[in-house]
Amino acid sequence: MTEIKQGDIVLQARGITKRYPGLVANDHIDFEIRAGEIHAILGENGAGKTTLMSILFGLTHPDEGEIYVFGKKVNFRSPLDAIDLGIGMVHQARKLISAHTVLENILLGHPHAGAILDMKKTAEEVKQLCDAYGYKIDLNAKVWHLSEGEKQMVEILKALYRGAKILIMDEPTSALAPPETEKLLETIQLMTKNELAIVPFITHKLPIVLSVSQRVTVLRRGKIVARLNTAEATEQSLAMEMIGREVLFNLKRPDVKIGKPILQVENVSIYDDKDYWAARNISFEVREGEIFGIAGVSGNGQQPLAEALAGLRKVSAGRVLLQNEDVTRLSSLKRWKKGIGYIPSEQRAVGSIGDFSLVENLLMSYYYDDQFVKWGLIDTKKIRQLAQELIEEYNVATPNPDVKARNLSGGNLQKMILARVFSRKPRLIIANLPTQGLDVGAMEFVQNKLLEEKKAGAGILLISEDLDEIMALSDRIAPMYEGEFMDILPGGSAQRETVGALMAGHKQKAVQA
Amino acid sequence: MWEFWIRSLNASTIFAIAGLGEVVGQRAGVMNVGVEGAMLFGATIGFIVAKTTGSYLLGFLAGIAIGALIGLLHAFFTITLHGDQVVNGMGIWILGFGLTTYIGSPYAGPLGMGRIPTIGGLSPFFFVALVLTFVIWFVLFKTHWGLRIRSVGENPTVAEVSGINVVRTRYWSVIFSGAMMGLAGAVYALDYNPVWSYNLLMGWGFIALALVFFSMWNPYILLSGAILFGALWQVSLNPESFLPNIFSRYIWRTFPFVITIIILVIMSTHWFSSRWGAAKPEALGLPYEKD
Repeated sequence: MTEIKQGDIVLQARGITKRYPGLVANDHIDFEIRAGEIHAILGENGAGKTTLMSILFGLTHPDEGEIYVFGKKVNFRSPLDAIDLGIGMVHQARKLISAHTVLENILLGHPHAGAILDMKKTAEEVKQLCDAYGYKIDLNAKVWHLSEGEKQMVEILKALYRGAKILIMDEPTSALAPPETEKLLETIQLMTKNELAIVPFITHKLPIVLSVSQRVTVLRRGKIVARLNTAEATEQSLAMEMIGREVLFNLKRPDVKIGKPILQVENVSIYDDKDYWAARNISFEVREGEIFGIAGVSGNGQQPLAEALAGLRKVSAGRVLLQNEDVTRLSSLKRWKKGIGYIPSEQRAVGSIGDFSLVENLLMSYYYDDQFVKWGLIDTKKIRQLAQELIEEYNVATPNPDVKARNLSGGNLQKMILARVFSRKPRLIIANLPTQGLDVGAMEFVQNKLLEEKKAGAGILLISEDLDEIMALSDRIAPMYEGEFMDILPGGSAQRETVGALMAGHKQKAVQA
Repeated sequence: MWEFWIRSLNASTIFAIAGLGEVVGQRAGVMNVGVEGAMLFGATIGFIVAKTTGSYLLGFLAGIAIGALIGLLHAFFTITLHGDQVVNGMGIWILGFGLTTYIGSPYAGPLGMGRIPTIGGLSPFFFVALVLTFVIWFVLFKTHWGLRIRSVGENPTVAEVSGINVVRTRYWSVIFSGAMMGLAGAVYALDYNPVWSYNLLMGWGFIALALVFFSMWNPYILLSGAILFGALWQVSLNPESFLPNIFSRYIWRTFPFVITIIILVIMSTHWFSSRWGAAKPEALGLPYEKD
């Protein structure tokens, strides 16, 4: 391979087209990537990013179009071909084997790994890479011990050790805490100095795109709608290109009188599936018309806490009061009847049954209601009628209510779940990652619906990993770290940096600030 | 006493060889609950070939070959056709049970060849099992091959993006695993007890299967477990010499199986999996489909 200089074109795509039944995922995509640049590819969910990424990494075959790597035309049969040509990929869902050590993961599939593994030599070589980018990591640690940020490091190291010259990153910051994000950005900027081309694919987090990338390509509905130098772009202009209309970045927080406490949580502790503490000594209350936000990186105990409050997980110690009534030991069904509404984080696994129609999914919140089910018989007409009304009210894009839930897009499915939960008029709403994975349009819809419920006087417990969302919606904010609330801050006056530091466990720093 | 230990070690040889095969398959993510079936094939075909040709070597080779073929069959149904591993494994057992009874009946009776020489009563295959234990441990944990096998068993998607051919790796592991079961069956019918009779293995394949879970997928623990069960089996055969007149001999006979059930129940509890579950190949039993 000839020497690559800064600014050389390393990868070029011409007329990439990929069709799926009923949709063109990529429509004649042209772009090029140069050595030493960070070239962000931006687009909503469903804009064709994933397809494009899969094509560049050899996971999917394009119907039309050509890819040139280092000036040579290539035809990827599998990711192996792409890897061999110097394309590395850092996946959003970590592609690491948790039971293996860091070193084993890095070595897996490496062409120079001899029949008998030379762990010592590999360790030395990987150490050099670590030193070059200021990574500190125990190479013999099992991957499941590592934090999200460290796992990402391992993926990057693995790609670099395989000799990657072009690094594709899928939503690189989505699982990271703010300090880890900063570290990542530092590292990738350092990498570009070594002629590495970095191509992050990003849905939201527009400020990050603006802060590090040199160029941005925006996709919408499978087509490239904008090619910009980042210097010329603003957050608003990028968002507009992405969704094709202006977005409100400042949600209007309605003035609502905060009323009596609805939910009181007293010294609650919860175990996780592996019998370790997931949450310890949590105490807080949610009041009428209040949004109580729990901020935190995933895996810090928010999920078990939400499940425990919804009655899906045992509370090991402490009490949960709903409108002054002890509900600690009540079943989920009794809690729904008493006015708790639960929006689970996994829309498809927990929030809906894919093979059931929307009507049947709606019934999951109505089967215990005498108005809809009498003597064990479902009043089909009535529930169907309700489904139709809700579909209209919540703007769910579906031809009819008999469509299977699995056929809805993420955004539409989430709208349907919200419709189901909110139509029961809950007094307390537990919203666990309500906007995760949604595109900007659907996200805005969900956030506005939450604000509407707040206006109607419901208490809302909002759990989110999106700091911007928490900051914009919450009346009070509890940053959660390793199963504990680091603090409870007033939403209006809390500093973004303070919350970010607290959710990464830096209590000391926050106190000073 | 000496006699007892020799018999125990000879029996453990068969548990160990079959179990080691199953370990390799399960490390690659494919469970074959039809160990008994594959062993019956190895035992019966090996027995028939040895008896008709008069050659032990051909007998063992035939046992290994038929085992590998059963492995290939299992691989085709579970890997290529994405069939359920447990259901297909049960199918292999039922097929093995029925077909070998049919094929083997005309050959019922003793092998009628000179016994394979022993070392003070100990079968040379015991040493084969020792070597295989070490070799399989070394391959699994010290070579790139082993890393690939373990990776496709832990997380085939990850292995695929690392450039591993998941299907090929699983195929070879399952074929090897079947060959080992066939060998174990042949060792039983040609060396341990060279007589063909109806249902000659009496459930040894299921004990070998249980041993794999007991071993936490580690060849050394598997070997120790095999020796333990070899001894248990001998105790169950001659309880009078150890604990006379406590239970009827028929109750003693059930002991290895009762203990097998107890081990499997303990292993499947939440208590166990939350403490030791990490050893289990994560993708065990799951078909791999590329998207």
